[in-house]
Amino acid sequence: MTVLKDLRPVYVVGVGMHRYQFASDTNYIHMGLTALRAALADAGLEFPQIESAFVGCTGIGMAAGRIMFNHIGSTGLAVTQCENASASGSSAFQLACLEVAAGRREVSLALGVDKYGDQVRAINKEGVGRLSDTAAIPLVRYALLAEYLKKEKGLQPEDLAMVAAKNHTNGSKNPFAQFQKARSVQDILAAKPVMGDFTSPMCTPRGEGAAAAIVCSAAALKDLGLTGEPIRVLSSTLQSERPQVGREMGSVAVARAVAEKTYEEAGITAQDLDIVELHDAFAIEELLYVETFGLCPTGEGHFWIRSGAAEINGEVAVNPSGGLLAQGHPLGPTGIGQVHEIVHQLRGTAGPRQHRGATTGMAHMIGLGSISIAHVLRKET
Amino acid sequence: MKLEKPDLCAPGAGHGTHGPRLVLKAGLCAACGQVHFPKTEFGCPRCGAAPDRVALHALDGAARLLAFATIHTRLSPLITPPCVVGEAEVAPGIVEEVMLVGDEMLYADGMALRAVGIPVARGDRQLMAIRFEPAEDAA
Repeated sequence: MTVLKDLRPVYVVGVGMHRYQFASDTNYIHMGLTALRAALADAGLEFPQIESAFVGCTGIGMAAGRIMFNHIGSTGLAVTQCENASASGSSAFQLACLEVAAGRREVSLALGVDKYGDQVRAINKEGVGRLSDTAAIPLVRYALLAEYLKKEKGLQPEDLAMVAAKNHTNGSKNPFAQFQKARSVQDILAAKPVMGDFTSPMCTPRGEGAAAAIVCSAAALKDLGLTGEPIRVLSSTLQSERPQVGREMGSVAVARAVAEKTYEEAGITAQDLDIVELHDAFAIEELLYVETFGLCPTGEGHFWIRSGAAEINGEVAVNPSGGLLAQGHPLGPTGIGQVHEIVHQLRGTAGPRQHRGATTGMAHMIGLGSISIAHVLRKET
Repeated sequence: MKLEKPDLCAPGAGHGTHGPRLVLKAGLCAACGQVHFPKTEFGCPRCGAAPDRVALHALDGAARLLAFATIHTRLSPLITPPCVVGEAEVAPGIVEEVMLVGDEMLYADGMALRAVGIPVARGDRQLMAIRFEPAEDAA
């Protein structure tokens, strides 16, 4: 199998965002073009220099990208819309990287834009019943897993709240975050109960927004005189879930497999990571994935979080953007918003969220179904 | 009263505390010999065998509770919080999310459960929904 590192080097040269926000009457074209123009300005590119675009989108409808690009100039670029549930933006980014790596294009765009749509899901058209009326609600599965882990390894509600407090506090320093209010562990515990020990700020909000990332080849870096500091994409891996074995959820098992694969492809280990943006749709996920990704020993995720190791300027900054819990999770843009954060962290331009000396970062998302996807990015010196 | 989900269950023998007992409709694959739940029209999800290789296989509705929690917020129009949802092993190695009768004080991890039919309102109709209740005499 050919992987990214076997092909031409790929660099992120421009990133931009439109703030994530609750559902509003803001036109999606306004959000998408805001992110796109910011990414173009960051890279020092004009739109006609973009040769292809992959648009991550779940809730707007057919041809969202093509309609949007009509308003910035019909350049004839190749446009592909990409739907992979919560990982739509991540998949759009992967496809843009592969397009450049394979030599098909020199400059490609991954853009995620979304509105809170009609929530039509294929699982509701599967024609297969489930015993519980909540079986298609991810929150319920993760809340039940948290209950199991509470008894299995002594997880406390405070551990979940600690993750949420960290990420909301990170989000309070992020101008693109949906939630920009620092919250304490006590604030999180006292918030509206949702299920079991889960309170509202331990669960991602839904909303809308946009994020864009422009990737290019080494030749384009040289020939186009790009101004944005390039960040190398070392690897990008995607797999889908296998049947659950024992008590480990399939989505957690596939996250482990994808992390191991993306480390191998990138030629790194977990110890090389300075920044991790991971899928914290629910606080329990961060506690699981820090173990799954090898950031700390198995079974010690909650102790590791309690120690402050996952904070900005700790051992590894986990979700310095605020993650899905605070930056938000508008689906189409989410994975590209993670790349936006990592690129700024590796460039040293993350402002009050800057993690000292960051050189290597990983973005990870889960898409309903489940699929898991991860990319490793590195600042080349 | 009609079953709300006749593709998943059928009336069983006897009565539980909260309603008539139900059996569950699983599939038994002739190709791989494995049981899966629920049986569907698409074939075997374990090995991919065609639907004609899968036979209906009744599970007795007995289950073992693995974890449970109370839902406090209306996450779906089909539920009325507070309600209790759990994960239960309905056959060896087959773990399903299940809706439990009553409040969480009735339950403990590892407890034996059984499937029973409980009347629920769906629009202007009353249907018999699948719920699980404590079953000290099961499993």
